Amino acid sequence: MELFDNLMLGFSTALQWNNLLFCLLGVLIGTAIGVLPGIGPIPAIALLLPFTFGMVPATAFIMLAGIFYGAQYGGSTTAILVNIPGETSSVVTCLDGHQMARQGRAGTALAIAAISSFFAGTVATIVIALLSTPLSKLALRFTAVEFFSLMVLGLVAAVILAHGSVLKSLAMVGLGLLIGVVGIDVNSGAARMTFNIPEFADGLGFVSVAMGFFGLAEIISNLEKPSERIIVSQKMKDLFPSMADLKASFPAMVRGTAIGSILGVLPGGGAALPPFTAYAVEKKIAKDPSRFGKGAIEGVASPEAANNAGAQTSFIPLLTLGIPSNALMALMIGALMIQGIQPGPQIMTEQPELVWGVIASMWTGNLMLLVINLPLVGVWVSLLKVPYRLLFPAILLFCCIGAFGINNSVVDVWLMLGCAVIGYFFNKVKVETAPLLLGLVLGPQLEENLRRAMLLSGGDASVFFTRPISAVLLGAVAIILLVMMSPMVMRKRKEIVESEE
Amino acid sequence: MEDLLFGLFLAALAVMVFVATRKLQVGSAADMGPGYFPQAIAWGMLVFGVFFIGKSFVIPGETILPPHWRALILIPLAVGVFAVLVMPAGLGLASFLAMVLASLASKETRLLEVIIFSAAISAASVLLFVKALAMPVPIFPW
Repeated sequence: MELFDNLMLGFSTALQWNNLLFCLLGVLIGTAIGVLPGIGPIPAIALLLPFTFGMVPATAFIMLAGIFYGAQYGGSTTAILVNIPGETSSVVTCLDGHQMARQGRAGTALAIAAISSFFAGTVATIVIALLSTPLSKLALRFTAVEFFSLMVLGLVAAVILAHGSVLKSLAMVGLGLLIGVVGIDVNSGAARMTFNIPEFADGLGFVSVAMGFFGLAEIISNLEKPSERIIVSQKMKDLFPSMADLKASFPAMVRGTAIGSILGVLPGGGAALPPFTAYAVEKKIAKDPSRFGKGAIEGVASPEAANNAGAQTSFIPLLTLGIPSNALMALMIGALMIQGIQPGPQIMTEQPELVWGVIASMWTGNLMLLVINLPLVGVWVSLLKVPYRLLFPAILLFCCIGAFGINNSVVDVWLMLGCAVIGYFFNKVKVETAPLLLGLVLGPQLEENLRRAMLLSGGDASVFFTRPISAVLLGAVAIILLVMMSPMVMRKRKEIVESEE
Repeated sequence: MEDLLFGLFLAALAVMVFVATRKLQVGSAADMGPGYFPQAIAWGMLVFGVFFIGKSFVIPGETILPPHWRALILIPLAVGVFAVLVMPAGLGLASFLAMVLASLASKETRLLEVIIFSAAISAASVLLFVKALAMPVPIFPW
């Protein structure tokens, strides 16, 4: 009963009082971030990273993970009540969730969303526990060759499933790789692209780069748009759904959970893809598809379940292989590295308390969300009334203090400022910035494994195609690229991307 | 317009990498030097850059709206003021000025509200970061 032992270890870590406390703090911050439209989980987590330096790795990670899935909850609340998706993952929840609210069934919609998320979170926790051990055992047999191919697959797949133009996203990964190169080369000791700035010798601060590109650049872009007035006039009644509602939504929950769990594991899966897929499936198999968009309860239950399941299972590649499946997971890897933990399959054996503690904390965190969120709905909604004109200067200040606090050096603040201006430029020319983070995080490892693999093979690149696992991984890369370049897929993808916006 | 600017950016970046890594040893595929990987990526960037520049002449994209200068100048300025002032003048003043300057970037800002709010948040930050989290930074200019 290895699984049982692992989960026991996980729960004994997750149930320590300080871990419970930071888990609660994480889900509360996450929910607030999810509710507030001007700020997403990426800048929020980047912002909080410097404050986790002093924590035990497991505690830090439990809190950061809590922010991530807490944000999914918060995003759904605003989607249902005011038709504003706090996060991209809750865009589909607007469709039927807000219709239910307009029919006076806001309480039911919120409760079903929360119950679906909790159900999915529970199942996803078990899925993670089941898959993690065999995957990491497989990965322990990997050599530099396989790791290089795996990272290439991770980068390409993540780019393809992100928003926006595939080629531009690939270019952004390249930029991220280049930023990752800056600093002292570990093999030769040569300073690379440090421009004689001593602080750059250890590499460009990951946190400053992320806050510049996602926190500050977002602010400048947001200020260009006219602010929207948000009217909240929902009266809450009957928070408890009827038996009939539960009966109608349960099969949808199960389907959504399955879809989310599968898509979440895939590189690039993460939070955005599963709910869209789940909604499309529900609509397709429904007896009366015309009900959708008019307050169909399945249209809330299934995407919400998928969204949460996907958010959680996207931790699997991170915990077992050390490969982030999206930009947020790249941030999580950054968090691990800041704590001095090298991500990769060995963390399962070297840091079992961390891995299983985080997995178990997802379940406790989801339970907290279910218990605290429904009664607190009013509090979250009132957060929406905080005007952006007060919010953004505060975010800016916390970015400054956060960047400064990493090394107590203003160099990081200047670096963040530079990244903010470049990030604004990317927003302006409509290039998705998120893939950059993946390149930045994976860059050093990608180079290291490439160099090692080529050294061992004597400069013969065919080694990547003759070793079976590596060949399969690169074959997958080739198939993905070919499929994406086909005109039909490109057109379909464009439609989806546009409908998301 | 979008593609042209992005292409130019990538090409300029590639050139910059070539210049910055010109003294680094490139080595061979079997024994890569510190310059091998960055230059290989820079070649890729250059190809992407040229592609986007070329594409912009074939398919003219949408024109870009002029930037919102007020935000584009004031937000970086606020961050810059913070960076310059935080060590000599202390966290309290640097925070306050950064917030006030940033607030001016929005048209909806009300002066009195901003001053009170900025002072409150700055004071809270000092308490949180310097007093509670023991960040080694002066609070006051003196």
